[in-house]
Amino acid sequence: MIIARRRALTMGGSVFAALAAPAILRAAPLQVVKMQGSARGERVWFNPLGVAIPADSTVRFVNHDPGNGHTATAYHPDNFDRVRRIPQAAAPWDSDFLLPDESFEVTFTVPGVYDYYCIPHEMAAMVGRIVVGTPLDTGWEGPSTDTTDVSPEVLATLPTVEEIHARGRIEQKDGA
Amino acid sequence: MFKPMILSATLLATSATFAFAEGHAAMLQSPPGEPFVQVSDVLPLPAFIPGLGTLFVSPDTLPAGPFLAYDHDGMLSATVYMTPLDELKNGVSYDDLAVGTHEVIAVDVYYNAGHPGVDVPHAHIVLYHDAEAKARLAK
Repeated sequence: MIIARRRALTMGGSVFAALAAPAILRAAPLQVVKMQGSARGERVWFNPLGVAIPADSTVRFVNHDPGNGHTATAYHPDNFDRVRRIPQAAAPWDSDFLLPDESFEVTFTVPGVYDYYCIPHEMAAMVGRIVVGTPLDTGWEGPSTDTTDVSPEVLATLPTVEEIHARGRIEQKDGA
Repeated sequence: MFKPMILSATLLATSATFAFAEGHAAMLQSPPGEPFVQVSDVLPLPAFIPGLGTLFVSPDTLPAGPFLAYDHDGMLSATVYMTPLDELKNGVSYDDLAVGTHEVIAVDVYYNAGHPGVDVPHAHIVLYHDAEAKARLAK
């Protein structure tokens, strides 16, 4: 199950979210994934590109790009009829467009590999991968093997599960 | 017979020039009026885009534009065109594009990976209309 919510970055919103979340989620770590872009929009990227998290963790996607709108959208048939690249037991998410400083949160409970993209920037390979848990976890589903629905550039951008597990976070400082 | 034709052509040209100049005068200050719409009103983009300012465009001219770029005080500072690279490669040309105003002091051309509205790799062609325009649009 995935719990998602969208909000602007405000003190009130943060306090409300903390109070509204069940105790188990308050205790779970929060990971931030930044949506970033170069000054003139030549490059756009998620930072980190890949991240490993334990089950029941929440990821907050935040638009840090002052000149662009971005989305964090799971590869899933419910989202524009895309081929599924998240665990079958997980629910898909789509943040819709986030303007600068807006954010969107997703809580991941199903172990496995989740690939997502930015709707207007998929052609620029603005994609990311979240690895929840490890292959030893019950219900784990590894990365999608589909190569028909995404471009070679997208496939080349996604880090392997092994790389993500080894480093924890794979940062992208300038989209390179 | 020849004279009336010349006269008619002269009147038509005068009328067109007057309408053109009148249109440009209306564009110098934001909002430029119909058929232009503010880009951030119809697309998920910030009202003021660093480097481009507040953009207005006539939807009929998409994707190339012209996009009229205004500074924080609503002054027309640049005219911007956005041309998808694949379309150029495939033989599409964008000819006789209008300009916000005829005074152009510098032009920047650069790559953009895409954004809502033009979500494919494209070129930005930015015509600055005065010496301080780029600085005013920067942030």
